[in-house]
This record gives sequence, C-alpha cells and structure tokens, in this order.
Amino acid sequence: MNSSNQNTGRREFLQQSVVGAAAAGLAITSTSHVTAQTVPDAAEPEVTNEVDVLVVGGGTAGHVAAIQAGRAGAKTMVMERASCLGGMTTRGGVCFPGLFDAWGKQVIAGIGWELVKECVELDGGTLPNFAKVPQHHWQNQVHINQFLYYILAEEKCQEAGVTICYHEFPQAIKATSTGWEVDCVGFGTRRRVLCRQIVDCTGGAEVAGMLGYPRLQGEERQPGSIQFLLDEANNPGRGTKRGGAGLLHAIYVHGADSTNSRTVTEASLTGRKAVLDQVRKSGQRLMHLQPEPGFRESYRIEGETLITVNDYTSGRVFDDAISYAFYPVDLHTKTGVRPKPLKPGKVPTIPLSALIPKGSRNIIVAGRCVSSDRLANSGLRVQASCMGMGQAAGVAATLAAKSGTTPLEVPLPEIHALLREHGQIVPGKA
Amino acid sequence: MKKHQRSFVSLLTALSFVVLAVTGTLAFVRPFSIGVVGLHALMGFVFVGLIAFHVANNLNHLSQYVRSKVLWLTLAITVGLTALFVWQPGPIRGILALSQNLGPATDQFAFKDDGLVYNYAPTEHYKLALTIRAGKTFDANTPPHVAIWLENASFYHIKTLHEPDDREAGRAALPYWDFKVRGWEEAKRKAAESGKDLREQQEVDGVSGATRNSSFDPADYILPADPDNPMPYRLLIEIDQPDDDQPSLVYSVEVDNADPQAFQLLDLVGYPKREENDENGKEVWALYFVDERIDSALGLIDSALLTIDRN
Repeated sequence: MNSSNQNTGRREFLQQSVVGAAAAGLAITSTSHVTAQTVPDAAEPEVTNEVDVLVVGGGTAGHVAAIQAGRAGAKTMVMERASCLGGMTTRGGVCFPGLFDAWGKQVIAGIGWELVKECVELDGGTLPNFAKVPQHHWQNQVHINQFLYYILAEEKCQEAGVTICYHEFPQAIKATSTGWEVDCVGFGTRRRVLCRQIVDCTGGAEVAGMLGYPRLQGEERQPGSIQFLLDEANNPGRGTKRGGAGLLHAIYVHGADSTNSRTVTEASLTGRKAVLDQVRKSGQRLMHLQPEPGFRESYRIEGETLITVNDYTSGRVFDDAISYAFYPVDLHTKTGVRPKPLKPGKVPTIPLSALIPKGSRNIIVAGRCVSSDRLANSGLRVQASCMGMGQAAGVAATLAAKSGTTPLEVPLPEIHALLREHGQIVPGKA
Repeated sequence: MKKHQRSFVSLLTALSFVVLAVTGTLAFVRPFSIGVVGLHALMGFVFVGLIAFHVANNLNHLSQYVRSKVLWLTLAITVGLTALFVWQPGPIRGILALSQNLGPATDQFAFKDDGLVYNYAPTEHYKLALTIRAGKTFDANTPPHVAIWLENASFYHIKTLHEPDDREAGRAALPYWDFKVRGWEEAKRKAAESGKDLREQQEVDGVSGATRNSSFDPADYILPADPDNPMPYRLLIEIDQPDDDQPSLVYSVEVDNADPQAFQLLDLVGYPKREENDENGKEVWALYFVDERIDSALGLIDSALLTIDRN
C-alpha cells in the first residue's frame, strides 16, 4: 500500500467515523483544536488596571463605544457581566438591529454598521435595500447571525486593543483627582480599575445610579420578549417550518426588568417557564432558546438635556446633536404594540448633553438609558440608535481623557470630526 | 303535480323577492356591508333563475299582457325611470344622499384647472373630500391617470374609490394600484376558499405586536359596528401623467377614527418599481423612495388635502 492510498484510506476512515458518530447521536464537528493564551497571574484574585476609558456593559452600545475608543487611541477596557458582547442584540436574541436608514437614506453608519454589514456578508445574508419604501418599519431591520456577531465584535475589540473582561461588574466607585477608581468583582476576580473616563452602557445606567446621579423610571416597564424556536417532534434537523428562515418565536414577559440580578433572574425564570409550557402544549421540540429575555426598558438618566417625545417626533436637530436615531414611537404594553411611525422626512437626533448625567463629570452614558421621556425612549432604545450613541460616547470619552477634561466640555467640532473620520454620519452640516 | 310545481315556484319567487326587497332597503339605509350586499346579489341570481321558471309556468297570461296596450306604457315608464336614475338630477341625488351606503352613489370626481376634487360621502355623518391642488406640470387638457383607493393596516387594498375612466390604460399607467387590486382579489379568493374569518387570526406577537386588522369589508374601517374600537385605514392615490417618461407617484395618509382629524395632508410615499417575481412566479411591485431622476412627476401635485367631516 503506497502512502497516497494510506492517506486516502485514513481520510475516508475519519469521514466515516464522523458520519457514524453523528448518526449515533454524538456531536463531533471538528477534530481541530486551539490553545488559549496563558492569563498572567491567573491564580491571583486581585488585579489592578489603569486605563483611559472604562466601558461598563458590552451590549449594543458598549462594544461599539469600546471599539471606537480603542481605535481612537485610548487605552480601553470593556466590562461585561455576561459571557459575550452584543447584549440584547445577541444574548437577548434581538438579532435584527435597526434602523440604520430613514426615508431612503442611511442615517446611522460607523462601527455598528461596519459590524452588521460584515456579519451579514460573512453569513451569506442580504442587506435591505434602503431605497425601497418599507411597508412596515421592521422590514429594514438587518437580520444577523447573533453568534457570528459577537465573535466579530470580540475580534474588532481585540484589534482595537480593547481589553475584554467578561463575568465582571463594578461594585464600588469613587472619584479621584484624575478620574475614577472602580472596584469590580467577577468570579475568582477582584479588579481595581483606575480610569479617566467611564462610559456607562449598562442599559439601566447602573454606574450613574451607583454614583448617586438621579435616574428616571416609569411606573411600569414595557414587557421583555423571550425568544425561542420550536420544531416538529422527532425532527433532528435545524430547519424551521418557515422555509429555514430561522425566525424565532417570542413570548412577552410582562414586568421584565433588567434593573439588577434579581429582576433579571425573575424575568428569565418566568420566560423560560412560559417556553416550557409551550413545549408541553405543542408537543414540539425546543430547538433554540435565548439565555435571557430581550429587555426593552429600565432606568434612564436624568441628563443635562431631556429628549421629549415632541423633540423626537418633530425631528428636532439639537445644537449639540451627535447622532441620528430612527424608529417609530414603539411602546409595548400588555395588549401588544401599535408603533406610531414618524412623519415623512423627520429624523430625530440625539444631543451629547442627553448622554451626560446631570451635574456629572468624567462619565457619559450610551444606549437605552439616554435621558429621554418614556415615549421618546420607546423609539430611541433600538439598536442602530444605541450603536450611534455608543460610538459618539466612545469619541467624547476618548477626547476628554486625552485632554484631561469632561465629555461635555470637549469642543463639539472635534467630536464631529472624529466621528466622521470613523465613518459615522453626523447630523448637521458636513 | 303541475299545480304543486307552480305553487312551489311562485312562492319561492315571492319569498326571494321579499329577501331582495329587505336587503335592498338595508343596503340603502345602512353602511355598505359585504354581508348584506352579498346576500342581495346572490339572492338576485336565484331570483333570476326562478323568474325563468315563473315565466314558463305563466306563459299564457304573460303573452296576453304582451299583446295588450299596457305594454307600451310600462315600457315607457321603465325607460323613463332608467334614464332619470342614470342621469341623476338634483332631486334624485338628494334622495341618494340619504343613503348610508358606502357605494359609489354619492362620490364625485372632477378635474379642474387648478387640480382635481374627489368627494365621497358614505353617510351623512362621514363625508370625505380629497382636494388635489395642481402643481406646475399638471395639465388639465391632458389630465393624468388617477386612482384613489383604501388599504387596511395590513396593506391590503380594501376598496377602490376612483379608477381611471379608461381602465386598461389606467391599469398600465398605475401599476401599483393595479398590483394592489389584483392582490386583494386573490386574498379574498383565498380567504373564501379557506373558510376562515381573517379577523380571528390576530395574535399578539412578542416582537412586532398584533396585526391590527385583516377585514376586507370597508365598512369595518369607515363606519365600524363597534364605534369604540375603530380600525385605522389608509387612503392612497396613484397619479401618472401620460407620455412624460416619468413613473407614477403614490401618496398616502393614514386615517384613524380613534384619533379623528378634520384635515390631513397626504404624504409622498414613492414610485412603483417591478420586483423579481415571487416564488410562485407572480408579479410583485414595490415602492421606492423618490430620487433625483424624478422631476416633472413631482410637479403634478402641489398638495393633496384630505378632509373628513364626521358630523
């Protein structure tokens, strides 16, 4: 037997082994392996880091803020309580970010769009045609592969020199002469971070709350949605009844509140119980379940500027606008939701001052906790808008860290120029 | 046996006539309902069939009538009434205006030098007027093709209020309206085949919410049976100037009787463009945002104002 035949025979053997193992129900998908880098002082529970910008929360706004800060030259750390970036876009299963366009034109681009576009292209998907008039606003949401998305986000963070800290969250924060001293806890890790600027992308303005800045919250929260996928019993395939489109089912979880670990636990348990009930009733197989519900609402900061629903629906261009937002007013209630589309031509903007907790220095928020009334927030909370806010916050924090000032005192033209340099569309004159 | 057969046909004819009379009156005094009009129309077909038997059973008597002098008088009265009702002079229109019917009886469409007007009064308590102010490229001598129609919140065509006089040319010039009408006809057919009431299929969806409505009956939107729970609808127009090498344009406005507004301006939505056929090989059209290639078509309409008098 010559070596060529030997190789062929071995390859066939491996293929047959894999096929045989798969047929037997074993999950062998690859024979390759990788080795993680050795973490310095891994056995040491206490570590200290000094960075320019600490992004707390690696969700929809946070990972974009971190990548932006890293690319702009700031030593950046992103801290995420869960095990992946993307937040509601990935962990919550709302893997159809939008809206990046308004009235036939793209209004939000930059790092968020770069990630979304690359994810779709790598996944063999298609991007919506923004020239086409959508009959429903959600038709221009971009469907992405949530798993691919957070791996890409991790890659871009690492390329930008951003340190990712999973499973950690701040426990105590105090101001220093140069910024902040943030004590964080993860499992097996107690980390002290000395930073110049904090970007609070926790969704519920948790850091702002810890620092005692006032926050707003409605008497009730919009329901969250737990996403799952059922398929026919005894169907081991991964296809769906909707032609393989992979559309998930969703159940409203009323009272879903992402305020803290206890409320998130309660919402997750409630949602999962409802999914279990569905499985029992339908007799179908549970093919997929998001690890936690997609939360829509938590705390909002009381900022230097409050975006009202009138500001939002009238498309007010704030003097200190740093990004666009676009989505109907979309308040979910116990009876569902009836989105109220914006009037033709109207494109709301987000001012820098709505990202600054009132009276604060050296901290900026981004994401759904933007200072806004509840109705305005129901439109502002969506992913493309949060990505736009995240990028702007990353720029403002970086420039503030570099110049030793606070984000609100960074000259607006400098923020705009850096945003444009990094591909973002900035309201107002070019 | 023959006597029984004659009695059977006569009674059936008389009873079906009663149904026709009642549903005809209801169709006049109450808002348009596919249920009532459908019953009226279908019973009308049955009635026509029964009349054939009735004539056959009474041929001797009828032949005597035809040979009498009364024939000419009855013919003259019939022709006169027909002409009067087709012409619809003022007093006749006044009577028609009492109708609560959503049919075309009280609609008016007219081109004027400064634009066009369309009035539609399904009831005396719901009068809709669309006033389109002519733009710079509007030419009253070669008036544009115009279609006006209503859609439900699921974007199904539910009623064409006005279609071009030349239907074939209009369908070619106004492809989006034509596409919508064909979609409506198919959806109605499918709904009928499935035997399902589409209104029962609404679900609260954990992401995008409930589909508000799926009814094909215009009365459900304009004058719903439950006034406390009205369903929104959209009024659309598609307009095209012949021979201008520009696509037609579509304008729309949402009407929400839960949030009544007396005056609303229609917004430009876009221009229609044919897409790839769907998986069943059916033609698909979509609207696209207006771009720089569209110029003179934008000058057809200066403004389109919808006024609803909900007295």
